[in-house]
Amino acid sequence: MSSPEASLAPFLGTVVDRINIGIFIINTRMEIVLWNHFMEVNSGKTADEVVGRNIFECFPELPRNVVENKIKGVFILKNFAFSSWEQRPYLFKFRHNRPVTGGVEHMYQDYTFIPIKNEDGEVEHACVTLVDVTDTAIYQKMLKEALESLAEASHRDGLTGIYNRHHLEESFAREFSRARRYGGTMSLVMLDIDLFKSINDTFGHLAGDEVLRSTSKQLGALLRQTDILGRYGGEEFALLLPETNLNGAQILAERILQQVAETTVPYNDITIQVTISAGIAQYHEGMLRHEDLIKAADDALYQAKENGRNCICCAQAPDEVTVKGAGGGSSS
Amino acid sequence: MKLQSLTADQTDTLQEIVNIAMGQAGDSLARVLDCFVNLSVPRIKLIEVAQISTHMAKLVKSDMPITAVRQSFYDDLSGEAITLFSTDGYHDLSELMGYQNDLDPNTEKEVLFDVSNILVGACLNGIAEQLNANLSFSAPSLIAENTTASALLTPESLPWDYALQVEVNFSLEKRNFMSHLIIMMAEDAVDSLKRSLDAFLEAV
Repeated sequence: MSSPEASLAPFLGTVVDRINIGIFIINTRMEIVLWNHFMEVNSGKTADEVVGRNIFECFPELPRNVVENKIKGVFILKNFAFSSWEQRPYLFKFRHNRPVTGGVEHMYQDYTFIPIKNEDGEVEHACVTLVDVTDTAIYQKMLKEALESLAEASHRDGLTGIYNRHHLEESFAREFSRARRYGGTMSLVMLDIDLFKSINDTFGHLAGDEVLRSTSKQLGALLRQTDILGRYGGEEFALLLPETNLNGAQILAERILQQVAETTVPYNDITIQVTISAGIAQYHEGMLRHEDLIKAADDALYQAKENGRNCICCAQAPDEVTVKGAGGGSSS
Repeated sequence: MKLQSLTADQTDTLQEIVNIAMGQAGDSLARVLDCFVNLSVPRIKLIEVAQISTHMAKLVKSDMPITAVRQSFYDDLSGEAITLFSTDGYHDLSELMGYQNDLDPNTEKEVLFDVSNILVGACLNGIAEQLNANLSFSAPSLIAENTTASALLTPESLPWDYALQVEVNFSLEKRNFMSHLIIMMAEDAVDSLKRSLDAFLEAV
């Protein structure tokens, strides 16, 4: 009676050849001994072409150092060796099997190098398996992108798309401690849409929302890359300007006031005209916490409102406040 | 389930087998890495899950940041091997492993995985060979980067009460490299180890 192994032999040959995994065997001279169908199809080289030949001669593009190192471990240590797509996307640069749906450049691969012992317990052959993990790589990429956009969303204001209060506070604290440590300049502009409550009362809250969206967009268009704009509260915006002194902040604020005053916000059949007031404070060494800078800018904003709106008020030093008009607005 | 601890005979046998295996491992490593390998006398210990954090901290003897790689082994013996690297010491390895040109974070990790795989394989294959046991390995993966040894394993997330641990330190001569190899077998796997040890004792 034949052994179970012998009766299975014809099946095993077919399984090894047709399984949806790359399988090949190399000997200690780095010659290919077995090359299954998966390897034939993906490499474009048949078993007849490569068996008996040195693997690096057949495939000069292989990262020789890396492959030799892994195989050394198999032969000398009689040990398994591995290569994972996360560290090394591929050894053989094969096409992916997504000719239609695409999204990747090549097949992502996981390899296992298995020592094959002979009857004396010596390892003269290494069996290498190649698993196509392109799908896993794609899911991982999608997950990473989803996490990144989630992180981004948690810093954004839902209505206007600009940064939210949480992100502003974080940025203020960071920039403030940087200015304190390295002695930099920075200014904070607090902006508040004038008479916003009456816009809501007159045209409805949806119209108010549209005014907030439109104003945010106008502000964003006037900024530099490093400026940080966010919605601080209901109709209040904060604009942090790193490396900017009071004068620079004032020039920008004047442009903002003018732009907002000259732009009408279309809403359904009507157009809404709004103005905005600004309070500006520049960081100075007397400020110990970032809240001190916010307070100074906020106080200046309050002053601007007191002075008749659509104007700018600057807090220059803790004990000195000057007021300057902008656009067609009034000034003291 | 309470672990039946090893008998005195079993413990002695295991210690002897592990000593021989580590000696062989050091030898093969020296051949693969082409440099002299120092290793400590392996320590075998039964640990309780509640003590795992303090135990790990004691092993490393400092709160230096470490990077940890794990790998499963299965078949006649089963468990997991954890390799701890001091985070600043492993840059030296890349050159040794033939990756001199590119040192991006992925390549760095690949080097860690390769070295970890070699350490784990060399030691465990030596043990398995003496016990006439079959062994297979899964691919190495990262447990944590830049963490402390005490924060690596926390009792709440571990599915065992007792585990058998074999620990050995490796260092490379003239290289700023040191690592701890920890082979752990949870309680249910220890029974099959005990059977292998008994079979080994009967055979000699």
